[in-house]
Amino acid sequence: MSESKVPVTVLTGFLGAGKTTLLNHILSAEHGRKYAVLVNEFGELGVDGDLVVDADEEVFETNNGCICCTVRGDLIRILGSLLRRRNKFDGIIVETTGLADPAPVAQTFFVDENLREKARLDAVVTVVDAYNILQTLEESHEAINQIAFADVIVLNKTDLVDAEKLKEIEARIHKINASVQIHPVSHSNVAMSDILDRGGFDLKRALATMPDFLENSEHSHEEGVTSMSFAVEEPLDEARFQAWIGAILQEQGADILRSKGILNFQGQNDRFAFQAVHMMADGDYIGPWKEGESRTSRIVFIGKNLNRPQLRRGFESCRA
Amino acid sequence: MSGTVELLASRGAERRIEAPISAVACARDGQTFAIGTVDGEIYLIPMAVLRQPEAWQRVEAHDGAVLCLAPDAGSSGFVSGGEDNRLVRTSANGETTELHRGRRWVECVTTTTSHIAFSVGKGLELRDASGEKTLKTLEHPSTVTGIVFDAKGKRIAASHYNGASMWFVQAKIDSVRGLAWKGSHTGVAIHPGGEALVTTMQENDLHGWRLSDGHNMRMSGYPKQVASLDFTRNGRWLATSGADAIVMWPFFGGGPMGKPPAELARLPGVFCSFVKAHPKQDVIAAGFEDGTVLLAETSSERVLPMCMGGRGRVTSVAFTPQGGAMVFGTEDGVIAALDLSKAD
Repeated sequence: MSESKVPVTVLTGFLGAGKTTLLNHILSAEHGRKYAVLVNEFGELGVDGDLVVDADEEVFETNNGCICCTVRGDLIRILGSLLRRRNKFDGIIVETTGLADPAPVAQTFFVDENLREKARLDAVVTVVDAYNILQTLEESHEAINQIAFADVIVLNKTDLVDAEKLKEIEARIHKINASVQIHPVSHSNVAMSDILDRGGFDLKRALATMPDFLENSEHSHEEGVTSMSFAVEEPLDEARFQAWIGAILQEQGADILRSKGILNFQGQNDRFAFQAVHMMADGDYIGPWKEGESRTSRIVFIGKNLNRPQLRRGFESCRA
Repeated sequence: MSGTVELLASRGAERRIEAPISAVACARDGQTFAIGTVDGEIYLIPMAVLRQPEAWQRVEAHDGAVLCLAPDAGSSGFVSGGEDNRLVRTSANGETTELHRGRRWVECVTTTTSHIAFSVGKGLELRDASGEKTLKTLEHPSTVTGIVFDAKGKRIAASHYNGASMWFVQAKIDSVRGLAWKGSHTGVAIHPGGEALVTTMQENDLHGWRLSDGHNMRMSGYPKQVASLDFTRNGRWLATSGADAIVMWPFFGGGPMGKPPAELARLPGVFCSFVKAHPKQDVIAAGFEDGTVLLAETSSERVLPMCMGGRGRVTSVAFTPQGGAMVFGTEDGVIAALDLSKAD
């Protein structure tokens, strides 16, 4: 999580949600930063000044034989070339098509060693159309995945719905992804500081604000994507945790879309940040706990067919 | 290493420019080196001013990075592909001509005396020596990541996702020989005797196929991705980067199957980033991630350092066709030229 790494923002959202409007907004905002932008079709964009590259969305399976472990070959090539000029821009924005699964994009940053060395996934930003989202969620699992993968949701077109509907939408989104930050806006008009340079998958912020109500929520019988979070007050044994999370991701990686955690390992002064997309996991120490901060280990899983008692028991068994 | 007089200082010259170096090549007549940068420039080093960096000529060839660079099919000059979606010819005196302009990056280029081949996305376009006439466009199942002619220039191979493809250059009807192996293949080399084709992979592995029968060869155990590979002139060894030494796979006495690779010039903790076999002698030039460049003899443990570190990761090395001079470039924008032909 070195600061010299170029932050990469992945911009997703369903067709017509307002991605291009947001992108133009980012590129014309006066933030004094330069962004390289990867898009699928830049014809409609009409931007200048910044570097815009046409990407081809070439998805690969990685070689570990797991069908959920896919990456984007075009991103490896294009980002690899762009990152050689990393002094020329402050960040990179990758726009994905409306129907795309964000997993291959996010996983690319775990798999390629050159990208891991030079870039960090800053945040997955998903643009959601408030007027249509409840309908879209019924019809499209891509839309559910886009919400599940998001670190930040730009809830757009809120001027077209009333306050009650907005509440319902936010509750629905939080049911899929408990730790996501939601910014209700219209015309994609969101503060740049809310979406850019969030700091490594937006882990700290997401977990800091993880809604407590989830801890008490009743068991969900719903088949769809949900999130579950767990907390342990006592320090964890690092080896035991690594063995447990390794086994969980190995067995259930295809169903676990994302998982993240801030962990307190016994004998360590620094917080350990853990994150995974499907089966691909990554972790690093990210600096000391704050004075007076409770050293609670927290972890969140977002996915399908999650077994709450089993995950809780497993996490609790990692206590040192 | 203070007190050591670097060979680079006594026999060569260097210059630091702003942009990282992406590719280096020498013209077929051995009279000029070209160095491509990620800012789209090409620097030309005529042999006559090899040791006068102020006389090296800067040419603005591309808008965006030079992605690939090769000697022109003719005796002098170069062809390069770039992020500006163009294939450009640069003559020895610095004149540029556009040979192709498309909608995607020109990511690979390679030549023989009679052909120019370059890749754009999934397509591999083959042109005649003039560079003006398209002879054929060969389509692949996914984006082409590396291209190479065999030693006789009769076949051309491309690496891509899930394997490599080989084509006959002169065939009236194009039929592909598909070499399949799961995974993303990121670069390709052909054995000088036509015995094997080897690709680098997204994983820290090489994959090879024995061309006589298609037998698969897996070459693994690297701590890092293998970014660079080159066969020695006689095909006895395949030199590769990806470890803190030059990793050498034996291609004699039955090939590398079941045999451990040899290692040359081990620098503990410093990773080799580029290898280039000398065109006439059993010597490998190796560049390391800290900027160290050395020559290592394949038949002995002898190592001749060209320069110590402190110049950034070595990204490219080229020899003249006779091997009397070499040029290398680094990520920190160092261009260095060495005269190897005569002692001072």
